Amino acid sequence: MRAGVRDVVKAEEGEIYDIELDADILKANERLAEENKKTLREHGVKAVDVMGSIGSGKTSLIEKMIGILKGRYRIAVFKGDLTTTIDAEAIAKHGVESVAINTGKECHLDANLVSKALRRIDLNKVDLLFIENVGNLICPAEFALGAEKRIVVISVTEGPYMVIKHPFIFMDADVVAINKIDLAEAMGVDVDKLRRDVKSINSRVMSVPTNCKSGEGVSEVVEALGL
Amino acid sequence: MHEYSVTTQIVENVLKEAEKHSAKRVAEVRLILGSLTFLNPEQVRFWYKILTKDTIMERSRLRIKRKGGTVRCRKCGYEGNFNYEDDPLYHVPIPTLSCPKCGGIVEIVEGKECTIKSVKMVV
Repeated sequence: MRAGVRDVVKAEEGEIYDIELDADILKANERLAEENKKTLREHGVKAVDVMGSIGSGKTSLIEKMIGILKGRYRIAVFKGDLTTTIDAEAIAKHGVESVAINTGKECHLDANLVSKALRRIDLNKVDLLFIENVGNLICPAEFALGAEKRIVVISVTEGPYMVIKHPFIFMDADVVAINKIDLAEAMGVDVDKLRRDVKSINSRVMSVPTNCKSGEGVSEVVEALGL
Repeated sequence: MHEYSVTTQIVENVLKEAEKHSAKRVAEVRLILGSLTFLNPEQVRFWYKILTKDTIMERSRLRIKRKGGTVRCRKCGYEGNFNYEDDPLYHVPIPTLSCPKCGGIVEIVEGKECTIKSVKMVV
């Protein structure tokens, strides 16, 4: 560089703009979830997001809870699954409003799908809504739906390390149901150890051992959910 | 876990922004990823490369900044890193919602972000 000549700034091609965007991609879902929550609150509807592993007994738990709560609440159920309306139909047999949400390929429900489903029912005729998420212990934790309570259902047949292998979902839970306790002995699974694992991750969560076939523990779940 | 759908949204957002400024090309995207999201930077990069093909974002640089988790204790006011449960059996330390200082219950303040911080574009 010659003396007296300052560094030369050359634009290679056009001008470069550096634009601050600050757009949070996951926040879009959270905003929609807040809207859902508001809609539900305005109509006086209590909503529970039922998450949990595949085959842990989410639907059975909902069916048993319907049995206990049917006299006190007008109940609706959103049933999330990749395909089929099998569970939604089983739930409808209990005489409650039932909407199937088929996600196609997505591994979780999101606030947008729930908001669509909310438009399918008459919220003035509902006091309590169970939203059964897609069976999965990972993704649903990332997507709030707008429910005021979240329950995670796991079962002893998933083995002794289910909780510590999937810690994040338990951070967002208010209640955890540990299902199929009638099979604990055969599985060699210590239910109290699972409860201690849950407690160590999230000490404010209430864990309840259940047997959704016989109904054992279900009224404790209802109580833990404040219903 | 949902890198495909999230990266699709990232690319759509950036393309919309680029269109607003009539950009010829996008040179760089800066992304902030919280460590509590289920988004793996390697997979985000994989989808980014595929999804930007044949767009003005093709061959743009994706810079990912990781952001750790921060919690706040409701009882003692502690603010900082998680209390980790570190059992050799787990291999990966598990973050817990108990306060490392007083054992109280903490709430998550930071770590769930997936933010497009800024975009460099050629106009």
